[in-house]
Amino acid sequence: MAYMNMSMGEAHRRITDYLNRFSDAVSSQDGASFKSLFALSSNSPFLLSLADAVALFHDANRLINQSDSYSQFSDILLPLLRSVQNYKQGDFVEAYLAFEKTANAFIQEFRNWESAWALEALYVIVHDIRVLAEKADKELASTGKSPEKLKGAGSFLMKVFGALAGKGSKRVGALYVTCQLFKIYFKLGTVHLCRSVIRSIETARIFDFEEFPKRDKVTYMYYTGRLEVFNENFPSADYKLSYALKHCNPQREANIRLILKHLIPVKLSIGILPNHRLLEKYSLLEYSNIVLALRRGDLRLLRCALQDYEDRFLRSGVYLVLEKLELQVYQRLVKKIYIIQKQKDPSKAHQVKLEVIVKALKWLEIDMDVDEVECIMAILIYKNLMKGYFAHKSKVVVLSKTDPFPKLIGKPVNS
Amino acid sequence: MATEPKAATEDVKIDLFEDDDEFEEFEINEEWDDKEEGQDVTQQWEDDWDDDDVSDDFSLQLRRELESNIDKN
Repeated sequence: MAYMNMSMGEAHRRITDYLNRFSDAVSSQDGASFKSLFALSSNSPFLLSLADAVALFHDANRLINQSDSYSQFSDILLPLLRSVQNYKQGDFVEAYLAFEKTANAFIQEFRNWESAWALEALYVIVHDIRVLAEKADKELASTGKSPEKLKGAGSFLMKVFGALAGKGSKRVGALYVTCQLFKIYFKLGTVHLCRSVIRSIETARIFDFEEFPKRDKVTYMYYTGRLEVFNENFPSADYKLSYALKHCNPQREANIRLILKHLIPVKLSIGILPNHRLLEKYSLLEYSNIVLALRRGDLRLLRCALQDYEDRFLRSGVYLVLEKLELQVYQRLVKKIYIIQKQKDPSKAHQVKLEVIVKALKWLEIDMDVDEVECIMAILIYKNLMKGYFAHKSKVVVLSKTDPFPKLIGKPVNS
Repeated sequence: MATEPKAATEDVKIDLFEDDDEFEEFEINEEWDDKEEGQDVTQQWEDDWDDDDVSDDFSLQLRRELESNIDKN
């Protein structure tokens, strides 16, 4: 064990040094120094060696109570030192429990500090409580116990949000906390809980969205954009994810990729295609056959692509959106049949026999009878993807002479 | 994709939710130039692809298939 090499004197010095940094940071309101005192998940050498010192020294309590400048913060410091030690030793449940105590005590003090000087330290705490909770839950689950720490972290974050939702300068921190909450709810699968915090951000008169830091606005638009995709609210999803794309740091390619991963299905649903260069650059080639299927009107290719990447699409929550592209692919196929017929005999082209469509589908290895195809044609007409009417007796689709296949041009298919 | 490195415990199939698409954290004071922002990446979309061109391979094969059917009738 590393700390065997440390002497008692050294351990004493390190702990006292830490305590001094803490009280100095508070008295001089030095936010930058302060935040590094809480950054457990950063694995900084500073905190790692503090962990060793605390483990060796055994009686940090006594040190904390030795001086007023530390003892007044003992509710924060005692569990914090314990947490640092537990974290290093890999006891994540204990580390989380102690950190949660620190975090709650911190919020009490934070409310009393009028300026926003300690906001960055708050960010670190909010972030680390989530990360620690995740590690704690993994530990609990692996020993067969019920993982509920992340849920608890969520409750704490709601409390923090409440502390920031006021008129003062601290309120610019609310969006960061919101984004951490999103991460928790998405991980737990409780995305319906996002609604209330979104309502507070978007409709409460306390906040001016433009005031928030750019990085938080990008993250916020990414997650709310994803929610709009779940709700199949495509114009809104397009707006939010495009915002995130436009304003994201271009060097953060992993994040750009994530935005595109969700934006592409939305764009496809409103009749806009990504070009291949984009898919290549951001390793999103799982979409390339879907794009090709839309271009061609190749229903078989669409179904193959959906099957090939079913797992991936399901996990991202975009499978259903992509599956619904079938109608647009049908539209394109029938349009091609119409154009081909027109080239042969313009006078009769606007009448498309159902059995011709059946045969085209058979060629694509899709077995559908005339009645099923009739059904699809009826849907295309109903959703304004095709203009015309259906002559049921003669099993013919009679297309409108003008614009029989209206383009979507940025609007979703009518529901 | 998970942003944290794989630990040994993740091999255990445990009943936990995951979000594969968790956004990476920006640094607390991360800033970037407005000029650099997404110029290239926002201009990679096509809205004029739905044309009347049937000279591609797929369309030619489709035409051949439809013409062979007409002969049968």
